[in-house]
Amino acid sequence: MDNATPLRKGLPMLLVEPDDLLRRTVALTARSLGMGDICEAASPDIASRLLRDRKFGGAVIALDFGKRQYDQYDLGLIDEIRRQRSADDAAIPIALMLSYCDAGMMEVVRERYIARIILKPFRARVLLDTFAEFFSRQSA
Amino acid sequence: MQLAPIPANDSERLAALYALLILNTPPEERFDRITEFAATEFEVPVALLSFMDKDRQWFKAKVGTDLCDAPRSISFCGHAIVQSDILVVPDATLDPRFADNPVVINAPFMRFYAGAPLIMPSGFAMGTLCLLDIKPREFDALSLSILSTLRDLAVRELVEQGSSLREDEGRNG
Repeated sequence: MDNATPLRKGLPMLLVEPDDLLRRTVALTARSLGMGDICEAASPDIASRLLRDRKFGGAVIALDFGKRQYDQYDLGLIDEIRRQRSADDAAIPIALMLSYCDAGMMEVVRERYIARIILKPFRARVLLDTFAEFFSRQSA
Repeated sequence: MQLAPIPANDSERLAALYALLILNTPPEERFDRITEFAATEFEVPVALLSFMDKDRQWFKAKVGTDLCDAPRSISFCGHAIVQSDILVVPDATLDPRFADNPVVINAPFMRFYAGAPLIMPSGFAMGTLCLLDIKPREFDALSLSILSTLRDLAVRELVEQGSSLREDEGRNG
């Protein structure tokens, strides 16, 4: 699915990240560089509402285990994106921000056609590089 | 070494700084977070949110130093506040303004500096959000943009502080 990502121009990107300073820094820097719009969501619930209202060209999503066990990792938002009615919307490139990634997680990632994994510590530069790549796919 | 220049409007700039009532106040999480974020993002040993007083720079937030202030005359930030843009010194030993600066030729032997002036809507630069390293570094366009954003977020906090002070004054007559 990832290699067949449709070319759709001008769509904003989605950033789901609870840390407001990291989120704001990435969105504002992208705007100042003229990369494009990045919509911010502090939680999967907010992201879910945004997804119902508009289309996105790609998403970077922070997943955190917190105190939960590995098999309770909440992948609901990713599945929601992949189940969208429009094939174009369901096929957008997704990057995941993870605390760590083991073999089991790699399988989960493969099944959901994740374009990139970003491991802690999360840096604005890495997220901006990821969005730049996603934006370039739109304009290719 | 070139001493930090004193801008022609420094007395007005200082009046604006003093009106913010921020000098010598305790650390605040909102500024600590921005400074710590900058240190982590750029992987530098020292990051500071610095305000330029008459004869000293005072650190509201700091990573990598226990100092509370430093002389204005030998400060890198003293040069940064007279610029409209970010001052980047990739290698201080190669820059005639800083090559024989005491913090370059003596401990902590600083080599790299990047300082974004905290320019308020009034046009006065209150201080800087700055990064220092003991290794020379390059600072690319993306780094400049990220530092600029962090500086803007710090300025936004200062502007809000100024607004709430004015509201308090208004309420108290």
